[in-house]
Amino acid sequence: MVRVFVEGADDEKFIIKIIQDLIKINALLLPKKTNFKSYINIMGNKMKLLDASQSKYKQVTEEISLGEIKKVLFIFDCDFEKDDNNCNGLQASQKCFYDLKERLDWSIPIDFYIFDKNLDYFLVNTIKDKECYEHFDNLVECLEVENLRPNKKPIANLYRDLYPYPQFDFKDDRFNPIKQKLLNLFKEQK
Amino acid sequence: MSDHFIKNIEIKNFKCFENFKAEGFGRVNLIGGKNNVGKTAFMEACAINIYSIDISKMTDVLGSPKLAREFLEIGSRVGASKEEMQSFLELANHYSAISNINDVEYNIMDSDGIKEYNFQYKNKNFKVNINDFSFERTKQNNIKFITKLGFTKLQLKQVFISVQKKDKEEILYSYINEFDSNVTNFKIIGGDEPSAKVIDRDIYQEINEFGDGLKHYISIICSLYACENGYLFIDEIDNGIHYTQLDRLWKIILTISKDQNVQVFATTHSKECIESYARVAKGLEDDEITFFKLGKNQEGEIKGMVYPYDWFVDSIEQEQEMRGW
Repeated sequence: MVRVFVEGADDEKFIIKIIQDLIKINALLLPKKTNFKSYINIMGNKMKLLDASQSKYKQVTEEISLGEIKKVLFIFDCDFEKDDNNCNGLQASQKCFYDLKERLDWSIPIDFYIFDKNLDYFLVNTIKDKECYEHFDNLVECLEVENLRPNKKPIANLYRDLYPYPQFDFKDDRFNPIKQKLLNLFKEQK
Repeated sequence: MSDHFIKNIEIKNFKCFENFKAEGFGRVNLIGGKNNVGKTAFMEACAINIYSIDISKMTDVLGSPKLAREFLEIGSRVGASKEEMQSFLELANHYSAISNINDVEYNIMDSDGIKEYNFQYKNKNFKVNINDFSFERTKQNNIKFITKLGFTKLQLKQVFISVQKKDKEEILYSYINEFDSNVTNFKIIGGDEPSAKVIDRDIYQEINEFGDGLKHYISIICSLYACENGYLFIDEIDNGIHYTQLDRLWKIILTISKDQNVQVFATTHSKECIESYARVAKGLEDDEITFFKLGKNQEGEIKGMVYPYDWFVDSIEQEQEMRGW
């Protein structure tokens, strides 16, 4: 059994979509009826995900010691450096993750993937080449919400609502690193 | 939680357990895990541990699980012959379990061709030459073990007496009617025929003529009353029970076990049963429950993990796999 740790429900949905795409293109072999949610732990937010004292981690520590969980992957946002948080920005996020890893002291393979800024920003970047994209920016500018919601969530949500599946082109090269992390995670998984 | 509840246990050299430890049990404990990871054996080990308060009871319980499996009848085989009992005790050779309740050990020693039963319980130790052993058995009435084969009619009759003594018949009838709206009342007709009344035909029908689920359901309810201040073990709790009845069954178990101060251990393979257990416990805000997951590590050793209420409910809500690994 493997486990992916994410911040929130949107991250979980995104990871499941990527897994489903990997299965669809035969890059990943998992039974069709797999409940993908069973591989994912939602920690609530970044602060909780990076906090080794969380009850969920105590539970997982036991599950690892029993041999149930054999590999884990942490996926989270690096967020914005300007925000007042010790773990924001890529370097600080990495440092906080290494601290977490040290405190957890799990004796299994542990990998991580950090989104540039955040998941929404990442997703929006992958649709920036579309001709219509400027309209999203215009809308955000017109509504004057950029300062209130700088994380691109309004655009990402609007895009998700407007477009049928597949909302994002997983063939885009920018998805390759996270795809590879997931493939490594599930490799030789029983 | 009550002092008489098993909170931790260490089992050595018993069936599939070589050196096994688990701790953190609650009032009601559901056990999950794949086939052959020792779910039933774990309950047997617990039952032997708490049952062994003297030699005759220890003899009874060491022979009972085997009796149940070999003859499909536990209660009606109380009169097993000396030779049969000797073979059951031979097969039960090597048992050791220390819990917060009791420190129990049993084995057969052979010195110079003379075989001795070695019984240890409650810090007492007895060695008895096999040829001199009486094989006398006595029962501990507030400890019951419902095997996957279910109760015999005699066993059902015995636990129903507790319902009668406690004037709980009306409650039992209402539970039966909730289970099947065409069935009500439960009686022992003619002294030994457990029967329930079919409403639309206005007749009493022998319990074995209904589906297995109803008999299992009644056995569990009556046993909860019979096990006041004791223990109830239920193997494959959802045997014969339709998934739509599971919430009702768990509500009954959680309610009566609390009222009667009974510690319950039960096994299942069913996802629906596990989810129902979590749902009902959360609804009743009953945090004295646990989920106990058994599995094998890479070395093939059996390991177990007790999920307290919070971990269990959270894991179910996050749709984690709880049926073992």
